[in-house]
Order: sequence, then C-alpha cells, then structure tokens
Amino acid sequence: MKNLERFGFPALIVVMAIMPNLLNPRWQAVAITFLIFTVVALSQDIILGKAGMFNMGQALFFGMGAYITAILNSQYGWPLLATIPVAILLPALFGVLLSGPIIHLRGDYLLVVTIGFNIVFIQVVQNNLGGITGGPNGIFGLDSLSLFGTQLTSQLAVYYFAFAVLLLTLGIMRNLEKSKAGRALHYLREDHLAAESIGINTRVYKIFAFALGAGIAGLAGTVFATQYSAVSPEAFEFIQSVLFFSIVLVGGSSMPGILLGVFMMFVLPEIFREFATWRFFIFGFAMILAMILRPRGIWPATFGKIPKFLIKESNHGA
Amino acid sequence: MDIFLQQLANGLTIGSIFALVALGYTMVYGVMKLINFAHGDMVAASAFVGLTIYTQVMGQATSLVAVIAIFFLSAAVMACVGIILERLAYRPLREAPRLSAVVSALGASLMIQNGIMLIWGPQMRIFPELIPQVYWDINGVVISLIQVLILVLSLGLMIALYLFVEKTRMGAAIRASAIDQDAARLMGINVNRIIAIIFIIGSSLGAVGGLFIGLYYRGITFNMGWQYGLYAFIAAILGGIGNIPGAMLGGMMLGLFQAFIAGYISSTWADAFTFILLILILIVRPTGLLGERVAGKV
Repeated sequence: MKNLERFGFPALIVVMAIMPNLLNPRWQAVAITFLIFTVVALSQDIILGKAGMFNMGQALFFGMGAYITAILNSQYGWPLLATIPVAILLPALFGVLLSGPIIHLRGDYLLVVTIGFNIVFIQVVQNNLGGITGGPNGIFGLDSLSLFGTQLTSQLAVYYFAFAVLLLTLGIMRNLEKSKAGRALHYLREDHLAAESIGINTRVYKIFAFALGAGIAGLAGTVFATQYSAVSPEAFEFIQSVLFFSIVLVGGSSMPGILLGVFMMFVLPEIFREFATWRFFIFGFAMILAMILRPRGIWPATFGKIPKFLIKESNHGA
Repeated sequence: MDIFLQQLANGLTIGSIFALVALGYTMVYGVMKLINFAHGDMVAASAFVGLTIYTQVMGQATSLVAVIAIFFLSAAVMACVGIILERLAYRPLREAPRLSAVVSALGASLMIQNGIMLIWGPQMRIFPELIPQVYWDINGVVISLIQVLILVLSLGLMIALYLFVEKTRMGAAIRASAIDQDAARLMGINVNRIIAIIFIIGSSLGAVGGLFIGLYYRGITFNMGWQYGLYAFIAAILGGIGNIPGAMLGGMMLGLFQAFIAGYISSTWADAFTFILLILILIVRPTGLLGERVAGKV
C-alpha cells in the first residue's frame, strides 16, 4: 500500500502528462472528461469523505462554476482563464452562505437539503432567471482558451489545463491531510462530540470544508465550460450529484478508489456505448454489490499522517 | 375565492398521494434509520405494474371488481419487491456504516428506475381510465370523482394504519422496534419480521399511491419516481420523520402548499418554493412539525 503510494502516484502523473500526445481526439476528449470529473469527485470527497457531511448537491457548485465562466465569457467577453477567480470564489461564497444555516442539521436532513439546493439551482437556470442563463438550452459558442494573447485552439491545450487543475487539487488534498484543518476535519468526522470537546470549532471547519469543496468544484466547472465550449442545465442535474456522492463512498474516500470510481462511472460508458441503456441499471447493481462486499468502500482511505503511537491510543475509543 | 377552493381540492388530492408515499419512507426510517431512496421508484413501478395487469391479466376490463383486483395485485407485487429489496440490498448492511446503506439504497433506486425503462421503455405511457370521468361543478369549483376517491381511500388507509400501529400487538412491536431494536429483540420481538412487515405495508401503500398517480395524471414515465419520492420524503421530514401522523400532516401540507404555489405564483417554481419551505421549517423546528420519533442520537 505504501509502495503503491510512493511509486504509483508519480508514475500515474507521468503517464497522464504524456498520454494525450498518443491519443486521437476522441480519446483525448474522454481523458479530459476523466480529469474534470476526478476533480469534482475530489472536491466532493473534501465535504463528504474528509469532513463527513452528507452533501448530495455537489453538481450545484460544479454547475455554478461552469455557468459563471460561460456567462462572463459570452455576455461580457472575459477570456476564459480570466473567469477562474470568480468561478472559484462565487461558488465558495455560496458554499458558505448555503451551508451556514443548515450545518447543524443531522446527516439525513443535510442530504435532503443539499439535494434541494441542487434542484433549485437547476430550476433557476432552466427558468432563465435574469435572462442570462439561456434557459433549458444553456449557453453555447464560448471562446477557446487564450493565454497572453495566444489562441490555444487545440484540444491538447484543454487537456493540460484540466491536468493542471487536477494537480492543483491533488496538492490541496495533500496539504489538507497534513494540515491542522485536515486533522480537525478528520476528528469531527470520526466523533463530532469529542472533536468539539477538545476545542475544535466544528462549525467553522465544516463551513470551511464546504467552501473549499465548492471552490474546487467551481474551478472544475470552468474546465468543463472550456472543454465543451457550452453549458446546459442537464449536465448539472441532481443525478450527477448522486454519481459524485456514490463515487466517493464506493471508492472509500481514497485517491485510488475515487480514480477507479470516476473511471467506471464516466469513462467505461464511453467505451461501451452499446450498453448505454443499461448503464444506470448496471451502476445501481454495482453500487449495491460493492457496498455489501466492502461496506467501507472498495479502497478504504487511511488517515496516515498521524504518528503511530497516537493512532494506537485513538483506536481504543473507536 | 374560486382559485382558492379549486387549489384546495387539487392540493388535498395530491397531498393524500404524498402522504401515502411518505408513510413508506417514515416507517422504514423510524425502524431502520435509513432513507429508502428506492421507495419513490417503487411507487413509479407500481403504476407500470398496474398498467400491465390491466392490459395483460384483466383483458382491459374496467368493472369495479377488475379495478379492485388491479389495486390488490399491484400492491401484492410491490410488497414482494419490497421484501426482496430489503432482504438483498438492506439487510446485509444493517451493521455497516450508515452511508453504505444510503449508497445501497441509491443503487437500488437506479436499478428499479432503469429496470422500469428496460421493461416498459423510456417513453411516456398512458395509464388506463379505470375510474369514469365524472365531474361536479360546485359554484365554479370543479371536483372529479377520481379526486374524491383518492382523498377518501387515502384517508381510510391512513386511519387503518394508524389504528394498526397504535392499537394492535403487532403495532406495539413495530413501535418498540423503532424505539430500540436491541431492547425489542430482548423482549422477544422478531425484528427481522417487523422490518419485513414494514416493507410490506410501506410498499403496498406506495403501490396504491403509484396507481393514484396514474389515475390522476394519466401520463406515467419511468423516472417519475424521483420526483414523487423526494416530495414524499420532504413531507415525512416536515411532519417529523418516523412519526406516522406527522407523515400524513406533512403530505397534506405539502400538497396544499404546492397547489397554492401553482395557483397563485407559477408551477415552474414549485420545486424551489418547496425546498425553501423545507429549509425554513428545519431552521425553526429541526425535528419537523410534530417532532420526530427516532430514537437516540444518530
């Protein structure tokens, strides 16, 4: 396991850095999709897996980022990359505002309320609130990437943009695991009451996790809008949130598990297109089976950055 | 005033359907602490099963006996599906982390929903006209026979369920299992059997709800279960989850609320207002209007 982490990850990253040059455009597009959805799944993992909050509305923040990029680009002529700060900060702000009043709710209520946020978001963009979301058709015909005045029209450029976003996300996740905030989230997920009693401000950390997850998802939304040069409501429907939610839990909230989950849910359907109508039936079956066989996920995460003697102590309570 | 009375009638109709479906959620949640996400899709499946029983088994008869038979057969089929679902997808996960059971429930939901699509196709199907189209016009307020039947039958079923849970030995066992499964087991209650009974009752009531949806709206689609399931679950939360009268109250309230939103504002915003109502009520009363009947800190 340790070896896999030490050699597997760098190898995977090298492969991902080289791979697109060897692929034809169709498979490049599949690879970009994989990168985007991995980033969203990781952002969901921060909220659900790391902080333990039952969030089933992650597609909302993803969609919000994508719509912000699309609106700023198509209506106001901002270059795509210039929309990034807004596409991160606004969803993060919404994460704070939305989670603030509901953060104390018990798990299942949180689940239903976050489903609600997602559905309200879809209804808002479908009803074309303010006349800027393009209604059910969405917004299309966005510009292509440009950097310092150079047009980067090739799909390869989008791939490396997505890849850079993934690397950034991985860096944040890695930092989170080693940082004070990450440990606080770990404690409050394991035992909320104990975390509070040793002086962790659980409310602040929960909202922080929501904001961080929302911001990263918003950034993934920018990449999504860039890749398809369009956004439409159905890409951010509630079923997408269900998929992200399931990927994190079926994967076991660990890096390899999440990569595997995204691969199965978003890449395999591209390969086996003839099974398109069976897709969700098979997913449903696989979800039940995976949970029965491995209730903690296919590849359960370990929180490995705590000194050994401390882990032994904490196991008594668990 | 006409709009008010008309939407009152419509709201009570749709509210009783929500309430019937909500009972399935609230009973399962009360005992198992699990959101049975598949329940909404079972409701949808029931409408399709009823359609097939009507065309294949009943030879498209619409006599009173045939209609009653369709209701009982559909409920029986869905009760069986409910037992199988519990046995295969939920029982193995009873001791597992809570979220594992939630994922299993989501998986079951996807399976049933797409199972309907694979069997009956993705296009909308028209539910047969089992009940004659009779309308009464009372000072401009139009009420149909179907609406009256849905309201009366739902109320009857809910009263029967309430009496069953409150007044019978079996009902006492169900209540005991909801309070504390281990203690109930020590008192000699077969909790597995209670859970099976809950799935039978919940699925049958949901099945009736599904047939009502078919009768009332006529058009049925494979993915309509999500929508009704979510509304019904909200209804259960509004009333206080695990609380049987609460589910009835929540269902009626949500039905009326949505009808008035549709009547006075616009039905395109119904979802948004529903969730705003849910969030406001949860902020003011975090355990629902009548208080939840779920034991302990979860």
